[in-house]
Amino acid sequence: MIEVEALKKSFFVHKKEPGLVGSLRSLFVRKRTEKVAVRDVSFRVDEGEIVGIVGANGAGKTTLVKMLAGIIHPSAGSAKVLGYVPWERDDELRRQIALIMGQKAQLWWDLPAADCFLLLKEIYKIPDAQYKKTLDYLVDVLRVGDELNVQIRRLSLGERMKMELIATLLHSPRVVFLDEPTIGLDLTAQRAIREFILQYRAEHRPAMLVTSHYMEDIRRLCPRILIMREGEVVYDGSLQRVIDKYADSKLLRAHVRPHAKPVVMPPTLAALGDVVECSEESVCLRVPRDAVATASARLLDHFDVVDFAIEEVGIETIIERIFLAKGDVA
Amino acid sequence: MSTFAHIVSVEARTRLSYRGAFWFNAAFGFMSDFGVVFFVWTAMFAESGHAEIGGRTLSATINYYLLVALLGRMVRGDRFEGQISADIYEGGLNRYLVFPYSYFRFKYAQRLGQMAPEFLKSVVFGVLAISFVSFESAAFTVGSVIMGLGAVFVANLVFFLIMTIVHQVAFWADNVWSLDVAVWFVASLLGGWMLPLSVFSEPVRAWLEVLPFRFLYDFPVRVLMGEIGAVEWARGIVVVAVWCIALALVSRWVWRRGQRRYTGVGI
Repeated sequence: MIEVEALKKSFFVHKKEPGLVGSLRSLFVRKRTEKVAVRDVSFRVDEGEIVGIVGANGAGKTTLVKMLAGIIHPSAGSAKVLGYVPWERDDELRRQIALIMGQKAQLWWDLPAADCFLLLKEIYKIPDAQYKKTLDYLVDVLRVGDELNVQIRRLSLGERMKMELIATLLHSPRVVFLDEPTIGLDLTAQRAIREFILQYRAEHRPAMLVTSHYMEDIRRLCPRILIMREGEVVYDGSLQRVIDKYADSKLLRAHVRPHAKPVVMPPTLAALGDVVECSEESVCLRVPRDAVATASARLLDHFDVVDFAIEEVGIETIIERIFLAKGDVA
Repeated sequence: MSTFAHIVSVEARTRLSYRGAFWFNAAFGFMSDFGVVFFVWTAMFAESGHAEIGGRTLSATINYYLLVALLGRMVRGDRFEGQISADIYEGGLNRYLVFPYSYFRFKYAQRLGQMAPEFLKSVVFGVLAISFVSFESAAFTVGSVIMGLGAVFVANLVFFLIMTIVHQVAFWADNVWSLDVAVWFVASLLGGWMLPLSVFSEPVRAWLEVLPFRFLYDFPVRVLMGEIGAVEWARGIVVVAVWCIALALVSRWVWRRGQRRYTGVGI
């Protein structure tokens, strides 16, 4: 459904020196530098697949999405979405794709959501019966029936994002681009949006590209991820494989009885692993995977432990390591 | 209802829902548009001692400006609210580029919708003006009113096309506000909003005949006043239609080039 081959996008940005002299000089001469936002990116996404794009700020995630949604032209390379070149903006393609931008409201602020949806019905030429059925379904799943006749500007951020989702999916797109769909939302709203996306995907099987800085979005939604660093895709594969490769340690977390003396003289904690946290009531150690059993046994032997847990290293930590690493990830 | 008509309707309803802005803007807009020129021209006639300036008496000049104020609102609206340059700067263009619908058709439909309150204001103040001002120099007929409204419709389209091109400069420049003001000033000066075109010299008027600006204010007002007959009106409509085609082609060319520079900032 989405095929991308050696896609590249570079921008020219003007630079201005600071201060009054710099401002005066810029009236006559401006320095221009090329910034490569996306370089030689290739991948494909099939029907029903949700692919997460992960990367630090400025990695090129949004630029890539904008090219595939047909908003901007690439500097080089090719891409096909449903067999169409996206930036040629064929109406037939635009009727089958959707883009949601978490950082940018797309609905009309002065209108109630119901009026916005009617306008979109006209724009996408959605038949009456299909419109009613889809709208009823989306409103029911997202539980926003009571807010339909409220002006968009008067809705909370979470309600607005739900309305944006409805607007995006009203025409039952076959390809959906979700750029930071949960940004700024509270945990409850984030979870509701994620559950909705999964349910929608199970029932309609669109191809979805998701960018997010919230690793929980990526973990819950995307079995496959693209990791972008400085415009390049440095990893394209399963999320689990990255975790397996980069999560070479686990966290041992023990809560000990307050003020209890060690049962026997403890070994130096540092000898068991990296001490992440150590207080009167709890101990947290990061230990290599092959030393988890030994270290656990020794902790349990030497302390009066009331609760004990073995945790995976957070995905945020793993991804952060990849951002900071050099070279390919795979 | 077609998509175009739906957009017009939605925009009109939105605009009309701001009751306070409607009356405030109407009252102060007309007072400033008409009040200033009324006192300026009254003083100019008094100071000059002439019975006529640019071929018009004081009464005819006042009639002309009253109609410019009334029709001008329907031509230009509340300046240019298409916000094309803002869409380009702030990335608002993104959502329209994803729609299977022409961006400019959408914007033009919005603009016609925005005209609804302007049309109402003009009707309300037009009725008030007829009640209190003598239109002795105007020869209103059913024909002149119909042709005048047709001329206003075309003038609105010309204004839209001119400003559309100006605002697309935002693809290249960081700010088009000053250019917008400059073009609006030129259009107002050469279109008959600031001065009746009859005050210009003969060679200048000959140039103005072939430029699009006079069709913005002078042409519709004079048609409505009965100064332009059916034949001259039809000839004017042909000239302005040619201008519309030319401006649309330029706009299309600018749009295609601008698209390649568009970065979709704001997201």
